[in-house]
Amino acid sequence: MSAPASTRLATAKAVLWLLVGVATAVAVVRYAYGLGRTTALTDLTPWGLWIGLDVMAGVALAAGGFVIAATVHVFHRERFHSLVRPAILTAFLGYAAVVLGLLVDLGRPWNIWRMTVRWQPTSALFEVGWCVMLYLTVLTLEFAPVVFEGLKWSRAFALLKRATLPLVVVGIALSTLHQSSLGTLLVIAPGRLHPLWYSPILPLLFLVSAIGLGLATVVAEDVTTTWLYHRQPEWDLLPSLTRASAVVLLAYLALRLGDLAFRGSLGRVLEGSWWSALFVVELLLSVVVPVLIFLFPSTRKSPAALSAGAFLVIAGFVLDRATVGGIAHLARTRDSYVPAATEISISLGIIAAMALVFMFFVEHLGVWETPPPAPDHFRPAVTDPSSSVRLRGPWFGAVQRSGLAWVIGAVLGLGLASAEVSHRSAMRRTPVARPRTVAVDRTERPGQLLHQLRLVPATAASETTENALLLSASGGGRYVLFEHDQHQKRLGGVSSCRRCHHLNLPLDKATPCASCHRDMYAATDIFAHARHVATLGDNASCPRCHPPASAKTREASTPCASCHAAEGGEPIGLAAARKWAPGLAPGYRDSLHALCISCHRAEEARTARAPYLSRCPACHRGAATGDEDLRIREGAVLLAKR
Amino acid sequence: MSAWAILTDVTKCIGCEECVVACKRTNDTGEDAPERWQGSPEDLSSTRWTTIVSAPRGRSVRLHCRHCLEPACASACPVGALHKTPEGPVAYDPDICMGCRYCMIACPFKMTRYEWESATPRVRKCILCYDRVLRGEIKEPACTAACPAKATIFGDRRALLAEARRRIAAEPGRYIDHIWGEHEVGGTSVLYLSDVDLSAAGWPSSLRDGSYPALTHPAMHAVPPAFLGVGAVMFGLSWVIGRRERLAREGDPDAPPREGGHTPPKAEP
Repeated sequence: MSAPASTRLATAKAVLWLLVGVATAVAVVRYAYGLGRTTALTDLTPWGLWIGLDVMAGVALAAGGFVIAATVHVFHRERFHSLVRPAILTAFLGYAAVVLGLLVDLGRPWNIWRMTVRWQPTSALFEVGWCVMLYLTVLTLEFAPVVFEGLKWSRAFALLKRATLPLVVVGIALSTLHQSSLGTLLVIAPGRLHPLWYSPILPLLFLVSAIGLGLATVVAEDVTTTWLYHRQPEWDLLPSLTRASAVVLLAYLALRLGDLAFRGSLGRVLEGSWWSALFVVELLLSVVVPVLIFLFPSTRKSPAALSAGAFLVIAGFVLDRATVGGIAHLARTRDSYVPAATEISISLGIIAAMALVFMFFVEHLGVWETPPPAPDHFRPAVTDPSSSVRLRGPWFGAVQRSGLAWVIGAVLGLGLASAEVSHRSAMRRTPVARPRTVAVDRTERPGQLLHQLRLVPATAASETTENALLLSASGGGRYVLFEHDQHQKRLGGVSSCRRCHHLNLPLDKATPCASCHRDMYAATDIFAHARHVATLGDNASCPRCHPPASAKTREASTPCASCHAAEGGEPIGLAAARKWAPGLAPGYRDSLHALCISCHRAEEARTARAPYLSRCPACHRGAATGDEDLRIREGAVLLAKR
Repeated sequence: MSAWAILTDVTKCIGCEECVVACKRTNDTGEDAPERWQGSPEDLSSTRWTTIVSAPRGRSVRLHCRHCLEPACASACPVGALHKTPEGPVAYDPDICMGCRYCMIACPFKMTRYEWESATPRVRKCILCYDRVLRGEIKEPACTAACPAKATIFGDRRALLAEARRRIAAEPGRYIDHIWGEHEVGGTSVLYLSDVDLSAAGWPSSLRDGSYPALTHPAMHAVPPAFLGVGAVMFGLSWVIGRRERLAREGDPDAPPREGGHTPPKAEP
């Protein structure tokens, strides 16, 4: 074996192990923190890269297995026999990737088994799940002879060989269902998909495209592995595969465009939007350019052009499946979704793991009719048994290299995932709810100090109806009525907008209430020493606040809260929790709120007749009496004293 | 009561959000912590099963699960965690759910929400206080009980449809002559009356009138015949082609032997 071959393969393996390491660490973090912290998914975009790439595209790319099996075993084109085993192996690994992708993507993967006992024949996903399970079993049985051959279990080998045709036929039938059922998934959601992709015949489109794609996948897989292992590509076989692929792809193109024309959406192809451009790019990549390459006399004989065509088909249909699985939803949901680094690393890791398994099988079993030469780096080092001195062989072999790559990858993955988690946990919290305008009627009630704000339907708005804003400061479902019209009037009419709204400053849409109503939050020195002395018993009471032998200073005294615990209470509203400084009473806002609001809340909850009793206007009078903002009504204070 | 339903009269709503607060208290949804995955803070979320959005001309419109008569979400659920109850509400069993989120894809109103922040996430949406009403803890869903303006009321679907028609007939100038939810997506248990267009407030104009689960039925009904048909055709083709090749070989002794094929490995002695 030549040196560059071994280097090329060794480098590829190290990179793959690195990717697997990253994905392993990220998967652990994903299970610990949930999907929200490790993906870019949202309530409107519940499916992302893992479904679009690993599941939708993974299944489509595995189509080579059933197509080649059908070619050889049903249509008896025996000359393609050498391609069957690699194609079956690729299909098996494609489906294994689907299962891995699902296990990462499912929110509660431990319940996946319930699909086998709870029958839901109306659900397309139920069909998908069963097809995955059954076809994975069939693929295992189809590939098992290769393993038995390697293990030299001739009886098991002969037994399964006899079952080849039934297995192949069941595999074809299951693939037919499964490829199409992935298209069925989206048929129930016409409101989600852009009309260029939504179609009632999505199942048919998925099936036909999978056949064309499957043929191209076999070509691409053969070209890639021959490059990696310095083998001779099967150039006597591949052009016939690409020719067949071209025919199927043309049929697919006709179906796709015919369906659009039938539904009257063909004009949208030229509408000039991003979506029509995506559609054109997708068809160019997946069908038009490859078909030209596969059929044009000057390019169809060139190995390089054929390989390029096969990879274009793959790229085009990966894009197609990802578009149907997620991208085309964004046209309707108006959401935005860019996969997180953690999502991308899991997808890459799954593909890398499958590539490594593929390499393991081709190196150790008879997947190819001419097996690759045993790579040097699998030869173990030989040491002298008495002295443990290394006599020959690499000091840093394949196992060590893979292990190191995996460990480096896992460390990178942990760093990546924790960066993503902290990024998505802390930095992207959206602001509290935007205020919503409601209509209020103000009623002054004779003989009572409290005016009443009454919400009215917008349909019942009259000339005296004012606009108020419903504010949720804490986002906890507790709202405050902000009398916008009254503030505007008090602050100087329409020219006063800029007092609160700084539209010219980025990220400063409105001034918080606290910037005007500062006194609400300030701790004030209202401590009346003489009154405390009189109340507590003259000189004998000094130790109540000043510990014996301590300096008689404010700082050294007992905190007010040790006696006035009930008045401190919980901080309410916008301000953060504050500690009481010794000798300083809390701001009257906290004291009075603590005194009043617990009863107000209880009363509000008890009776339906006072739904706004715990909201600010219940106690704070505004400009109606010409007072300064938010001064507490006399009535409210009297009530508190009693 | 045969079919639970809710009628919301947009012209009566004062937008106070008492329904939101009542829902949050009754279902113990926890505090709203608007996160990245929520469209906007006032949007529905896993902690906010009903919400009020602004419609044209200052109207407030309440959003929550529509409890479709033929729910796409329940039909899409591969394990039956979401299911249409005999009484009408679409209820949810988190112990069965495997978290595929296909229901969120399928819902034509996009009303289902997910606990993205959780490592054991659940689908969250209005369940019409199904279990509490069924156990008799409350007589009607918390939201309708809390409405101070009687803008949203609970009752039997047929009775509410009749009430809606009565209101339209009594004050023809007040309402658009349309009951949202009567026919859309095959009918919903949550009905709306309004004097403004609701296409921007939870009733997108792209909605179809027929059942959504029925869209998938042709493909799903084709599954058994497709499986058997494809299987039979493939067996038949294999036999016919194989026989023809065998006959051709027998007729022509110079024909090359069959290519390829693996022979069983020799067992080691």
